[in-house]
Amino acid sequence: MKQPLIEFKDFTFRYKSQTEATLHDINLTIYQHQKILILGASGSGKSTLAHCINGLIPFSFEGEIKGSVQVAGIETINASIFDLSKQVGTVLQDSDAQFVGLSVGEDIAFSLENDNVLRKDMLMKVTDAATVVGMQDFLAAVPYRLSGGQKQKVSLAGVIHEDVQILLFDEPLASLDPAMGKTAIELIDDLHNINQKTVIIIEHRLEDVLHRPVDRIILMDEGRIVADTTPDQLLVSNLLSTYGIREPLYLSALKHAGCEVLASDGPGDVHTMDLSRFDDQLKAFEKKYVASIDKQYASKLIEVNHVSFAYDKEKVLKNVSFDIYSGEKIAIVGKNGAGKSTMAKMLCGVIRPDEGHILINQSDYRQMTIKELGEMMGYVMQNPNQMLVKDIIKDEVGLALKLRKMTEEQIDERVNEVLKTCNLYSMRNWPVSAVSYGQRKRITIAAILALKPTVILLDEPTAGQDYRHYTEILSFLEELHEKMNLTILFITHDMHLAIEYTDRAIVFADGECIRDDQVYRVLSDPEIIERANLKQTSLYSLANRIGRTPEALIDQFITLEREGKR
Amino acid sequence: MKDKFLINIVPGDTFLHKLSGTTKVRLFVALLVFITMSFDLRLILPVFILTLIGVISAKPNWKQVKLIMSVVLFFNLLNIFLFYVANPTVGEYWCGQLTMLGKLNNYFVFPVETFWYLFVRLIKMLTNFMVSLWFITTITPSEFAAGLYSLGVPYKVCTVVSLGFRYIPDIARDYENIKISMQLRGVEMDAKRTKITERLKQMVLILVPLIITSFDRVQTIANGMDLRGYGRNKMRTYYCEHESTKADKIFQFLTLILFIFSIGYIISVNVWPPQTRMWCPIVWR
Repeated sequence: MKQPLIEFKDFTFRYKSQTEATLHDINLTIYQHQKILILGASGSGKSTLAHCINGLIPFSFEGEIKGSVQVAGIETINASIFDLSKQVGTVLQDSDAQFVGLSVGEDIAFSLENDNVLRKDMLMKVTDAATVVGMQDFLAAVPYRLSGGQKQKVSLAGVIHEDVQILLFDEPLASLDPAMGKTAIELIDDLHNINQKTVIIIEHRLEDVLHRPVDRIILMDEGRIVADTTPDQLLVSNLLSTYGIREPLYLSALKHAGCEVLASDGPGDVHTMDLSRFDDQLKAFEKKYVASIDKQYASKLIEVNHVSFAYDKEKVLKNVSFDIYSGEKIAIVGKNGAGKSTMAKMLCGVIRPDEGHILINQSDYRQMTIKELGEMMGYVMQNPNQMLVKDIIKDEVGLALKLRKMTEEQIDERVNEVLKTCNLYSMRNWPVSAVSYGQRKRITIAAILALKPTVILLDEPTAGQDYRHYTEILSFLEELHEKMNLTILFITHDMHLAIEYTDRAIVFADGECIRDDQVYRVLSDPEIIERANLKQTSLYSLANRIGRTPEALIDQFITLEREGKR
Repeated sequence: MKDKFLINIVPGDTFLHKLSGTTKVRLFVALLVFITMSFDLRLILPVFILTLIGVISAKPNWKQVKLIMSVVLFFNLLNIFLFYVANPTVGEYWCGQLTMLGKLNNYFVFPVETFWYLFVRLIKMLTNFMVSLWFITTITPSEFAAGLYSLGVPYKVCTVVSLGFRYIPDIARDYENIKISMQLRGVEMDAKRTKITERLKQMVLILVPLIITSFDRVQTIANGMDLRGYGRNKMRTYYCEHESTKADKIFQFLTLILFIFSIGYIISVNVWPPQTRMWCPIVWR
């Protein structure tokens, strides 16, 4: 029968550095061969729970433990992390940090090396593990040449040859583009089915994980388990919105159409759920559709004309042309290395075109220095920690002004104004290090806005953030957009962001601009999706199932979502 | 990436590349001892020629090698020139006599012995450089770590070496990104527009976030390593360290002989000091 593999009993944990417990009274049993999703917003305690399973607590993170955790019969408090690593294989969120070897083979071999395995035995084990994840042809490859998805596969291969029973994935989707994320979820599912592993996935992107079925979902909030149920049950409850988890798009669409989905319809999978009951509602929904009209903008702000650029010999941008109008919100999408970041750097003037030219307000931008361009184009980096240099929030926001030699009064006035716009005024004298990640992001945006740019470029603004913080940052940007008529460019591979917050998508693949069109049209073109490593949204699958054109359904959905927000 | 560095991360495929890390590290150490111990051209010159052949056979990236070579040559020539200027009669100390060829004035004299000494010194320094160049171009950081480990260096020290190489490009990329964002905020990096003192101050603005993000990363890397059993045992093995081939065995044997010879030489020189401090053919004339 079912054998318990992991057992939490009245478990409470408090980090040494914190006054309050992070996990409270956890009672949880996970059985052999189950596939479990641990779901929760940031700070819900889901990562801490994972650390308790793989032994990082108490090995690396000290704290106060009450109750007990047993993993494969081992009481973790007494066990060493090394004994546990023979039972639990952990794939960390940051696959770059987990990749310690200088080649794929070396990294896969790392745990064998530590275990003093003879090299001749090692070679075979490494090849075997690499074959399981499909990396057997890359054994000599160096980490700098691999994509995020490939690095993650290597991390996975590096933990499976111990014949571990449990595989633990800490936010496996966080640093992958949509297509890679999909592949990762499929690979995890294969390991579960073919290799008979017990799988635990820690994530907050419910829809992406549900691309393949899971047995159970454990929903966490503020260090407690608030639900332990099946995907079907969870999807029809109101728990998702209560605890800040995004509902799958197809379910939102069905709700817009007035369908009341029940657990018995099997809503866990858009391809198999029973839609026969909703014929009438869906027909009525279709009749209500009015095609949206493309927004017209009056003044052209930036003109990119046949621009090419090469770092060495290889061209990273090939004959790229597009226009940006004042007040637009645009998503720049495409897989890593497609030329998105290069394009962003070029717009900021850090690099200049080899061929072609860029016009800003109809004048060639070649005469402008980086500093001058910085006053027009604000560039917000992905990781706020890479931008913050001052101790106090106020000084951080005023830094760019100080470097431009403005007087104290001018700086104070401008800084206070920006801080008020960004709802940071009451925190102006706080140390930067005391605030949360999301607030730091907000500070970096404020620091950029201090220069009053007309365009703001954001590199992956939603990376590493859960739905709640994501919505917070994006509604904040939306607000700025309205208030200041800011033109916003998002460099992203987050399809939800593109759908909900932008009008136009510029798609890059292999250094070329392969499409420049309304978001709903881009997302309903299978060829573009394929070439740009995007993923078909579940709306696309839903449209096919109910016999509508994807373009129309996505368009209707976007319109309704935006109305809903207002 | 691999064409940008002189150092290989991927093992090359020439004969010397294929030697194991242990062999290369041992040979390197033995050669350094051998060259450092004497000013005897009869000992140094063969090593110079052999390592020159070694470097050529390893087919390094000549563009980079040329650049480094010209810098090294320039500084070494400058070095011996300054040596001469500091003391034109230094040859007396080394060879025990002075044979004048002529003089410029009472200070700048031209003794044969001084020139001989400076010549040998130049060759010695260049040989040192050739040995290092040969070593650097044929070894990967992982092999280096494995080689150090085989010499009895604790493996945690060896790991620092290979991890350092692993994350240097990542840190360089972070630096580049931070620099860009700072430039856009108004930090002027252009040498023409700002004073050097100002630029140094602004460098701090880039280094602060770089250090903070790097520390964040160190914590994650450490966790990832713990989870894969790093530090479990006192011993470890190396994936990159292949079993000794015939060539390895021959080279290790030669290294051993070289090492024993060096030890013998050092002892004998100290027990029976020779007539002159360096081998100087003209003394016996």
